[in-house]
Amino acid sequence: MTRSLRQSMAWIHSWLGLLAGWILFAMFLTGTASYFRPEITRWMQPELPMNRTAGADAAQNAVASLSRDGIRDQQWFIQLPNARDVVTHVYATPKPDAQATDERPGKRRKRAAEQVLDPATGAAIHARDTRGGEHFYRFHFQLQLPHPWGRWLAGVCAMFMLGAIISGVVTHKRIFADFFTLRWNKGQRSWLDAHNVSAVLALPYHAVITYTGLMTLVLMYLPYPIAINYKQPLDFGRDAYGLPGDAVASGRAARLVPIAPLVRDAEARLGMPAARLVVQQPGDAAATVAVTGSSGARLNARTGTVVYSGATGALLQPPTGGGPALSTAGVMLGLHLANFAAPTLRWVLFLLGLTGAAMVGTGLLLWTAARRKPGATPFFGLRLVERLNIATIAGLPLGMGAYLLANRVVPAAAEGRASTEVATMFYVWGGAAVLQLLRPARQAWAILFGAGAAVFAAIPIANALTTSRGLLASWRAGDGLFMGFDLAMLGVAALLGIAAWRAARRPAGRAPRRTQGVVHV
Amino acid sequence: MQRADSVVTPTPRVRHIRVAALAMLARCLTAFLGGYVLTATVATLVARVLPISRVEATIWGMIPAFLFYATVGLWCFHEPRLARAAAAVWGGAIVAGVALWLLGVRP
Repeated sequence: MTRSLRQSMAWIHSWLGLLAGWILFAMFLTGTASYFRPEITRWMQPELPMNRTAGADAAQNAVASLSRDGIRDQQWFIQLPNARDVVTHVYATPKPDAQATDERPGKRRKRAAEQVLDPATGAAIHARDTRGGEHFYRFHFQLQLPHPWGRWLAGVCAMFMLGAIISGVVTHKRIFADFFTLRWNKGQRSWLDAHNVSAVLALPYHAVITYTGLMTLVLMYLPYPIAINYKQPLDFGRDAYGLPGDAVASGRAARLVPIAPLVRDAEARLGMPAARLVVQQPGDAAATVAVTGSSGARLNARTGTVVYSGATGALLQPPTGGGPALSTAGVMLGLHLANFAAPTLRWVLFLLGLTGAAMVGTGLLLWTAARRKPGATPFFGLRLVERLNIATIAGLPLGMGAYLLANRVVPAAAEGRASTEVATMFYVWGGAAVLQLLRPARQAWAILFGAGAAVFAAIPIANALTTSRGLLASWRAGDGLFMGFDLAMLGVAALLGIAAWRAARRPAGRAPRRTQGVVHV
Repeated sequence: MQRADSVVTPTPRVRHIRVAALAMLARCLTAFLGGYVLTATVATLVARVLPISRVEATIWGMIPAFLFYATVGLWCFHEPRLARAAAAVWGGAIVAGVALWLLGVRP
């Protein structure tokens, strides 16, 4: 096993890429879509108004709404609206004995886990039930598996990716020469070129997004440094994020002070708009109000928290400044979430995310292209990889399109429609993955890509037919978000259509030409 | 047919494949599991001994951990002598673990 560094790195590169490739492709593609998480959610709830309200007023209205019928909650989590998300999200945790102490017998206490409120009035908004962009976002690191297995599997795949990036850089001796040598229609050689170009073109992006992705869940993957420094892990949360400890109810009732002045004070102290509030033990003398800032245009996603007494409005805890390590970790988190990115940069990041999916996808195709011998019957592993490639690379976009299309097709008032939408994505994806086995590989590629193109092309049509916010109407109303969404769907449809056409065009019998000079695999 | 033979007396070739497979399994375990244990113990040791505030030391222990893990894992597949890779990774983890056990939780 004595080999040069380049040889051993080429060997491990192909294994890391192959074993984690399909999951990584799905993580890259759904993660890339998540750059537009709030926008996707807004498109998927076309009933929502488009008004804007200042955070302090939205907070006051939310609190007024939450305490209208008397306070029976232990904690309120209030996510304030911002430029991209125009509604207030509220998560209320009921008191453990709320059922017993409810003063109004006979009236069942029913409160959903999440409420969506109109920021301007505090009234509950009833939009169609959907997971929205949250679904792609959650899937990209939880993989629709039970907690914590999805996150661990995603972490293992991200580690494989990091190893593949490092070994890939060592393997490629001619990184910059490769960049200028994309040769089309040359079989394996072209796949290698495409893999190199997509990898080299955005290498800093790939390295950063992979590393910062691991960092987002570092507290889960590597909790031991906390355990060695803190007897109580919650103390770490207080030190690192300024989170208040759990407030214990005193039992003495006390009115909550007006929230809006507290939010304005917190915004002045933090030097940034407020993003969310956590109100603990509202209505009790021991109530606390924690206001956390919104990173907004800053690179550092770690923002301070200010804690006030809910009964007196007194400042309990000023925002804590972070040291270099905390700032570094905050910037890493910010780079991954990209909340700082204005629309243009966001689109650039979106395209870079697509090059990530392309890098993984071409790597997987390269694995089969390098092992296929002209005229010979492919061995089992080759056929397996080929079919998994079709199921993932061509099947996943089809499933994602079906999820979005289901949002317009499933009636808005249908029972359990949010899970129906999610189920649609997996049934379509899974069904396509199984059914493509019936056709020869090249046909299967073309059929799945073609079906994906049809689904994405159908989305703007279904949008125009079922809502009043179709492409033309949005253009007249000057609604950039809805217009942009429909145009993006048409763009994806065109891309998938080209892919289907290219896959179908090749004569079925011609084996890809083998060329010499393959650097690795 | 070879399979039937191998149940009775493995041919040298089959025996060689078995040894190679076991060696590869040990190498993978060393790289993935051993690499993780070594990363976890070293990151924790760094967090414990850095003479700065608790929270900063904790985060500095975490930030470079994944790069360290990836490098250790890749090196395990490059090092020709499996025994040497295993000794370095598992031995390092034991040394760091014992040091942590002696130091205990930061007072």
